[in-house]
Amino acid sequence: MDFLGEGLRRAVHLISSADPEVYGIALLTVKVAVVATVIACALGMPLGFVLASRRFWGRRAALTVVNTALAFPTVVVGLLLYALLSRRGPLGGLGWLYTWQAIVIGDVLLAFPIAAALSAAAVQGVDPRIRRTAETLGAGTWRTAWAVAREARFALAAVITAAFGQVVAEVGAAMIVGGNIRGATRTLTTAVALYTAQGDFGLALALGLILLVMALVVNVALQVLQGRGNA
Amino acid sequence: MLELAGVRHAYEGRVVLDLERFAVPPGALIAIVGHNGSGKSTLLRLLALVERPSTGEIRWGDAVVSSPRVRPRAAARRRITLVEQRPVLFRGTVRANIGFGLKIRGRRGIEAESIVAAVAERLGITGLLDRRRHELSDGEVQRVAVARALAVAPDVLLLDEPVSSADRAAAQALYGALAEERRARGLAICLASHQLEDAYRWADDIRALAEGRLSPVTPENLFRVELPPGQGEETKHVRVGPIAIAVTTGREGPAILAVPPTDIFVSKEPLVSSARNVFTGQVTRLGRPRPGVVHVAADVGVELIAVITEEAARDLALAPGSPVTFAFKASAVRVF
Repeated sequence: MDFLGEGLRRAVHLISSADPEVYGIALLTVKVAVVATVIACALGMPLGFVLASRRFWGRRAALTVVNTALAFPTVVVGLLLYALLSRRGPLGGLGWLYTWQAIVIGDVLLAFPIAAALSAAAVQGVDPRIRRTAETLGAGTWRTAWAVAREARFALAAVITAAFGQVVAEVGAAMIVGGNIRGATRTLTTAVALYTAQGDFGLALALGLILLVMALVVNVALQVLQGRGNA
Repeated sequence: MLELAGVRHAYEGRVVLDLERFAVPPGALIAIVGHNGSGKSTLLRLLALVERPSTGEIRWGDAVVSSPRVRPRAAARRRITLVEQRPVLFRGTVRANIGFGLKIRGRRGIEAESIVAAVAERLGITGLLDRRRHELSDGEVQRVAVARALAVAPDVLLLDEPVSSADRAAAQALYGALAEERRARGLAICLASHQLEDAYRWADDIRALAEGRLSPVTPENLFRVELPPGQGEETKHVRVGPIAIAVTTGREGPAILAVPPTDIFVSKEPLVSSARNVFTGQVTRLGRPRPGVVHVAADVGVELIAVITEEAARDLALAPGSPVTFAFKASAVRVF
């Protein structure tokens, strides 16, 4: 039990003393997470809107694919992306393997189905009369989508939170395509895995605490948003 | 002129609307009446261009604005506005709701504010402008939805049971405001209602829908029945609620029976006559849609409505609750 207390004391010291390695890893994690979440939501949420609100051939199949992709193992995504980005792969020329951009791509691939599937569910949950009313008042496609999005704002905020949560907690793909290189591609999750394996429990715990705080901040922000909203 | 042509509309293979033609001329005030499930709401949604017909087309003048192949454009939809039976308000204040369509049309600021204020005043909802949807009753929501529709000054206003949540006074106020709007701007109004009295009182043109088709007769006394099999044209006794109506027909299976109100003889007591249908009951209400014309509604097991003259009503001394006999010939009953 003593090593737990010791580890916790070290973690608090590392955080309170603004340890450059700890904060460097945390900043890189935030950068990767924000960029990946923005891209995944920018692509996935419009797709979710279309899947939920338009009737077209293949819609059901597309929904099935998106829902299945929710359960895609992160290491498999990492493996496929590694094959694409490795020097012999079709995208090898980009030179992105073992860069933070590669981690972003992996995270986008994992968060995109979340953004699409949960947005579709959120939009399907909106009273269909909202869309009809907006249309009958003369709204075009974008204004109608905006009216629907306003009604589903809490669910859509939860979509962003879920996508961010997936990205920030992801470890498999980040490890494979990022390489866990110190000062370059080491994120909070890959660092926690490494330092735990190396026996540096205090450092792993400090990074784990920061990860928890990040998740907490995002969820508190969502709750504040929900608290402010009213009909 | 807004017009449906050769429209058959189906949900999951079930035909819910089958209309050869349905036109809404400029400035018309049309009431669509019919039972629940007769296709009124579907018809309004097609006219509002928020649904496309399974077959057929919807035209504005000579242009096809909606069909299975033509997706309605926002520009066409901006000329027609629908208020649904149970309308919803968007998030935000009543003021923002009424201004929604104006904003889409690029009308903002003082201009939009003055339009919102004027419409709200006409519908008696000025006091509600800063409220939100959860602070309104169903009747108030309906009035706000009508105001929101009128604010965009459509050429055609479609209303689905616009007074279903309103009390009598509010209904009168709403119909009064609509009549005034029509006088001022000449917009066409098409309203679906199951209240025949309202339809007769406010509309110039009453069209009855039954099973998704336009009824060839007036909208009163329509009954959905199952005709028994027979051998050609003959008199059949068809059960309608607790009574059996004699009808001469060669049809069998599901059908609509229509008893034209002008073909019903009204008397105080049963008369000996050739009429195969003689029912006694009590007067439930009397309506006077036009001077000199009286609608007599009676409960004879089911509700039947007869049309008689003011003079006849006076001679019979009819009043709600008084006993009455309705008689009509089997051959007068229409089947479609």
